[in-house]
Amino acid sequence: MHPEIARIQSMLDGQGYVADEALATSVYLAIQLRKPLLIEGGAGVGKTEVAKVMAAALETDLIRLQCYEGLDATTSLYEWNYQRQLLHIRMMEHSDLPLEVKEREIFSEPFLLRRPLLQAITHHRAPVLLIDECDRADEEWEAFLLEVLSDWQVTIPEIGTIKAQHVPYVVLTSNRTRELGDALRRRCLYLWIDYPTFEKELAIVRRKVPGVNGQLAGQIAAFMQFVRRAKLEKTPGLAETLDWSAALIALHRDHLDREAVEQTLGALFKHRDDANLMRAQWLDHLLRGVDEIGREAAPWSQETISRVAERVLPKS
Amino acid sequence: MSLAGDLTTHVVGFCRRLRARDLPVGPKEAADALRALAAVDVSNRRECYLALRTVLTSRYEDLAVFDDVFREFWNPPAPQPTGADQPEPDLPALASDGQTPSLLSWLDEALQSQGEESIPAYSPVELLTQKDFSTFTGNELDEVSRLVVAIARRVATRLSRRVRAVRRGHALDLRRTIRHSLRRGGEIVELAYRKRRIQKTRVVLLADVSGSMDLYSRFLIQFIFALQHALGQVETLVFSTTLTRVTEALSESDLRAALDQVARTVPDWSGGTKIGQSLRAFLTRYGGLLLTPRTVVIVISDGWDTGDIDVLDDAMRELHARAGRVIWLNPLLGSPGYEPICQGMRVALPYVDVFASAHNLESLRQLERHLALRRR
Repeated sequence: MHPEIARIQSMLDGQGYVADEALATSVYLAIQLRKPLLIEGGAGVGKTEVAKVMAAALETDLIRLQCYEGLDATTSLYEWNYQRQLLHIRMMEHSDLPLEVKEREIFSEPFLLRRPLLQAITHHRAPVLLIDECDRADEEWEAFLLEVLSDWQVTIPEIGTIKAQHVPYVVLTSNRTRELGDALRRRCLYLWIDYPTFEKELAIVRRKVPGVNGQLAGQIAAFMQFVRRAKLEKTPGLAETLDWSAALIALHRDHLDREAVEQTLGALFKHRDDANLMRAQWLDHLLRGVDEIGREAAPWSQETISRVAERVLPKS
Repeated sequence: MSLAGDLTTHVVGFCRRLRARDLPVGPKEAADALRALAAVDVSNRRECYLALRTVLTSRYEDLAVFDDVFREFWNPPAPQPTGADQPEPDLPALASDGQTPSLLSWLDEALQSQGEESIPAYSPVELLTQKDFSTFTGNELDEVSRLVVAIARRVATRLSRRVRAVRRGHALDLRRTIRHSLRRGGEIVELAYRKRRIQKTRVVLLADVSGSMDLYSRFLIQFIFALQHALGQVETLVFSTTLTRVTEALSESDLRAALDQVARTVPDWSGGTKIGQSLRAFLTRYGGLLLTPRTVVIVISDGWDTGDIDVLDDAMRELHARAGRVIWLNPLLGSPGYEPICQGMRVALPYVDVFASAHNLESLRQLERHLALRRR
């Protein structure tokens, strides 16, 4: 492995992020080629984490822009601080300064509210700019973002053009609720994060859940692999795995059984329909799966999981 | 050829292969691929694979195709030496900045199969514009194709200019309000409003490619192709007995490749017509995604429906209700004495906002007028 990629992987590891080679390579290339990295994948697989960890690994700041429908330039780039401007106008009421001077004064940098994009451009060193869930913003904003990403400069009519001193490292994430445009995609490097394999999920549970014992960790990881074979409204990701593990630990469970699972189902399934489907049709099979895997020789692998799943789970 | 040059050739070849499989890979991506390879350990196969994948794919659907092509391309049938004996050389020269521009231009030539053709000034044009598509002779076809493309571009430009028009919005423009208030010592007397941009019109084209439309579909597809390229926000679906989405196929930047692609994706090119079923299929599968009050739907068909007429009636009613505007282009409307009496057309007509012909170049030119969004 390239020493830099290995270094990034171990850095990610040091930040508590279990990264495979693909992820480390993509992060490395995003840094090397200075291109934005577009990360897609199901909810809760750790897309946002990548940016956080990348910032920590580069020892730089993270600037985050959370996208939503209706996001526009004034909330993502800059806005004038109107209250402050009004106050200032009042204070200048009796001064004899000409109007032009007053105007220039209230439309100057101290009255500028820097939103994330402008913050990223004017930052004193190259930050990591996380544009989170950009599929939620609408197409117009996407076009606007594309412009910012290609020029790295912003024109504010009252002040002039501000050019980035340091081009930020950009990470975009998307949950694919809307297809992003081709132009934006082509500007980015691409990384798809799949739901974790059994081995990876087990490693993460062991690492991130304090107080989990070996048996429970294995059962949790296996259970999650089984659950993801169901057709759900919202397939639980790693975030749910960790929430659920924490819930089990809080209830002092050291192994999975029907009671433990039923008590904590809410941490796993955020959709009513999903919870109902699980309770009514899947729970028995899942528990049997956990039972059977217990009879397999350790250590378990993805292959063991698949074999057991074939045997006990309903075909969806 | 130098070793580095050899790898470059391979990468370009690989990129071309990906492009042939519809991945959006152009010269820029190929240059990035080389830069990426220069940044990793090229003797490590897995690392090369990951680096190329990161650079050359751009959506989840690309991954399987990429894997396929990668396996095919970098795994010649002959046994591969492994480990340290990998033939891929080191590439110290590639990373240096001095070489990038020439490399880029070279890639440009290597990848671009053909450039944009300019439309020459051509005097018999006027004659051609009035002529029915079905009566062209073989040697006129190329010329007509070019004109079709030119017209589509013009229509698209006009259209995108039009959709940028503003309407009075209700968002308060604080910036201007404050500026006004300055003149009154900070007293806010009048409020300024922000003009809001109308969102872009989306165009959905539903083109009939059944036997009865065969003469026209060749030109209309070209028109659609050019329109889609110039406008961006066009979704294209073709139908005869079934419905096929061809937006992706048509997004191929080379028309010939695009047409091949369409022919490959459409199972029943020039078959019979089931307009009703096809529209119904469109509504179910794509309606939620594509139909908004800002959508202009263009149906290109002669209205000869061999399917169930009630289904057509139903589908047209729903289409009319959900789209901003429904335009029906019927090539037959151009022939003198034509009356829309065939049953399908009669049923559909009440739900159509604009009924126009599409039988010659002049009629395509007129299309621009109809694409404005306001209904009546």
